[in-house]
Amino acid sequence: MVMNDSAPRDTFVLNRGEYDQPTDTVYAGTPASIYDFPDGLHKNRLGLAKWVTDTKNPLTARVFVNRIWGMVFGRGLVETAEDFGVQGSLPTHPELLDWLAVDFMEHDWDIKYLLRKIMLSATYQQSSELTPELKIADSENKLLARAPRFRMSGEMIRDYILASSGLLNREIGGPSVKPYQPAGLWEETNAGGNRGTLTKYIPDEGDKLYRRSLYTFWKRTLPPASMTIFDAPTRDFCEVRRQKTNTPLQALALQNDVQVLEAARVLSQQIVAEKDSPKDMVNDVFKSILVRSPSIDELELLESYYSNAWEEFNQNKENAEKLIAQGSYLQNESDPVKTAALMLTAQVIYNLDETITKE
Amino acid sequence: MMEEDKIKSENPLKVNRRHFFSQLSVGIGSLALGSLLIPDLFKNSAGQIAQPTLGIPHFAPKAKRVIYLFQAGAPSQFETFDYKPILRERMGQDLPESIRKGQRLTNMTANQDKFPLMPPKVGFQQHGESRTWISDFFPHIAKIADEITVVRSMHTEAINHDPAITFFQTGSQISGRPSMGSWLSYGLGSENKNLPSFVVLTSRGKGNSQGLYSKLWSSGFLDSKHQGVLLRSGKDPVLYLNDPEGISRSDKRHLLDQVSSLNKLHHVETGDDEIESRIAQYEMAYRMQMSVPDVMDVSKEPESIIKLYGEDCQVPGTYAANALQARRLAENGVRFIQLYHQGWDQHGNLHDEMEGQAKDVDQASAALVMDLKQRGMLEDTLVIWGGEFGRGNYCQGKFDPNNYGRDHHPRAFSIWMAGGGIKPGLNYGQTDEFGYNVVENPVHINDFHATLMHTLGLDHEQLTYKYQGRRFRLTDVAGNVIKDLLA
Repeated sequence: MVMNDSAPRDTFVLNRGEYDQPTDTVYAGTPASIYDFPDGLHKNRLGLAKWVTDTKNPLTARVFVNRIWGMVFGRGLVETAEDFGVQGSLPTHPELLDWLAVDFMEHDWDIKYLLRKIMLSATYQQSSELTPELKIADSENKLLARAPRFRMSGEMIRDYILASSGLLNREIGGPSVKPYQPAGLWEETNAGGNRGTLTKYIPDEGDKLYRRSLYTFWKRTLPPASMTIFDAPTRDFCEVRRQKTNTPLQALALQNDVQVLEAARVLSQQIVAEKDSPKDMVNDVFKSILVRSPSIDELELLESYYSNAWEEFNQNKENAEKLIAQGSYLQNESDPVKTAALMLTAQVIYNLDETITKE
Repeated sequence: MMEEDKIKSENPLKVNRRHFFSQLSVGIGSLALGSLLIPDLFKNSAGQIAQPTLGIPHFAPKAKRVIYLFQAGAPSQFETFDYKPILRERMGQDLPESIRKGQRLTNMTANQDKFPLMPPKVGFQQHGESRTWISDFFPHIAKIADEITVVRSMHTEAINHDPAITFFQTGSQISGRPSMGSWLSYGLGSENKNLPSFVVLTSRGKGNSQGLYSKLWSSGFLDSKHQGVLLRSGKDPVLYLNDPEGISRSDKRHLLDQVSSLNKLHHVETGDDEIESRIAQYEMAYRMQMSVPDVMDVSKEPESIIKLYGEDCQVPGTYAANALQARRLAENGVRFIQLYHQGWDQHGNLHDEMEGQAKDVDQASAALVMDLKQRGMLEDTLVIWGGEFGRGNYCQGKFDPNNYGRDHHPRAFSIWMAGGGIKPGLNYGQTDEFGYNVVENPVHINDFHATLMHTLGLDHEQLTYKYQGRRFRLTDVAGNVIKDLLA
């Protein structure tokens, strides 16, 4: 979009909102109740930008710091991150919010600095275990006596699955990409006939399938299903705080989306090629996905699950071949029965609450 | 179980391993098995009404569910239900300014210097004891004239498709508000445990189409569990419903049991009840994998039903198939079933295109009403048929009686409703002799929503949701229940 400030058009109050009935002319301004617009600034976009980022502006740094806090902790110090006005909620820790905001400005609005500051804090580094005492004292964790525990966003979940399987393409920048999407979705709801590039969804190939979800092509009238199922906003309007629902459609997406199945397959193939014993293989899959070692109980359960799956696929090698055909990523020569059994084991882990939860 | 409860009540978080495995095998395993053996286990029995969590219902409901047959693109009232003989008498003459009153037009006709009146090419007859005027495009709907109520005095504020259809579905022209189906799901909850409470089915005719948008069935600021679920024709009616090839049903059961076992272990460790909720969602997903294909499978429908809806109902993705599907979903306790049939935007070639569109929907729409009736379901199922606005009574572009079109018209249009607490065989509201303005009993979209909610036992002023500092409702700050429409 190209914007041009050189000739601002006249703007009017419209009589009862009718576009063809202009009345008084109105001019640009900022709410005086927030912070007076300094005399020295021009009333244009540059002036507005300077007003917004002036260290005397009481809102900008607080709002921004609060949003980062909300991303990291699952909830802002001001819960209504989109609304600091009279209808919004009050901060749980006002002094902390103020201190963070000032510190952020004093460090030149450096977002990395801010993130590091928050994440290196003792508060952030607590365990997220919810003891019975804490459950009674502060079930919503407003007082932050434990670390947060919340489901990741749709984008984070997809990126996490790609990263843990080694598929993630870390390239930065460039045009949007079209990853896997169930066939026919665009075609069923468009206006029929050929309506240009948005008529048919043609997924990309190769590396483009594994880019960060940030780069996923977004058709606003029908956004990517694997994102909206996990509460990604439609982008029809601004949504600062996302919902974090827990639905059966999410369960289906994690079980059957080819993006997840392919990740499980590729990860398994790599491990089957490297390791021999079921115990080592299961251990490796677990560590790759959950970034911790399994407990004895967990390992026992998964190992016996793997062995049963192996038996099953060994009886029916055709099923193993079919299962590991998921996704277009290059196949390797690893044993199909082992791969299929380990792939299902990886699917179990990808479907755990812990995997898609930040804790 | 009693011993278990005792352990739990002593310390809800310290459940030992043996204990939780025993609970698991009896709990989840038997639950799933039960629902497989007795498909009706999760189905609602007649007496079960949603728990009044919001003080609901506000009064005794007549309807329990809604099937909305949305005719997307806006079918012309002049070729469907609003018969205006004066258009033939004055064919080709200019629409009097005393009628148009300088009304705002879309940019498709705003530059026309003439507005030549155009009569419908299709014939009209009166039908039933109600003497309802219905065009010859709809011989089947004509046969149920005494079952339906035609409202000829609908009006809206929007003049283009996107804001108009958004207005109808969400009560606001600007996107971002919850859809009607979401409001009902929020207010009334679900009647079943195997299927979503709000589902959407789409089909498209050959007429000029406008696209559909997922925002039309979005839950807006309500919890997204209330959003409409698009059911698609073909092998994957719900996205990601099918397991990949190579996984058997028992493999899937083992996989889920494994997921549940590990989730349970983690629940004991973290104490977060959200994990229990996740386990429940996985079980629901598993049940949906069985119940959805079952509901969508029309192959067991008897010949008489196939004949009633027409042969097309066996072709997945057609309007007729969706209409039959709608009845099956209604039987299975889905609260709000939203159909869209695209292709009603006749700016040109109106007669031929409308004839085709009407053929798509006429038989199946009437069949649905009759089918519900013969099952005793019409009395508590509200069926609605209509588009997002009306069409002009004058010709769009050059006057040509053989190939004419009509531009958008928000001031007056017709819809019909049946069942669910609506008076049958009624003709409600009137337009002027040109069919341009409403002259009697106007029904605004807010009124329509208020009335619809009333049939479901909801006071449209009381069902609210607080968001961004104020209470929102489907009807926002307007809307009156049209009492005369109620049975």
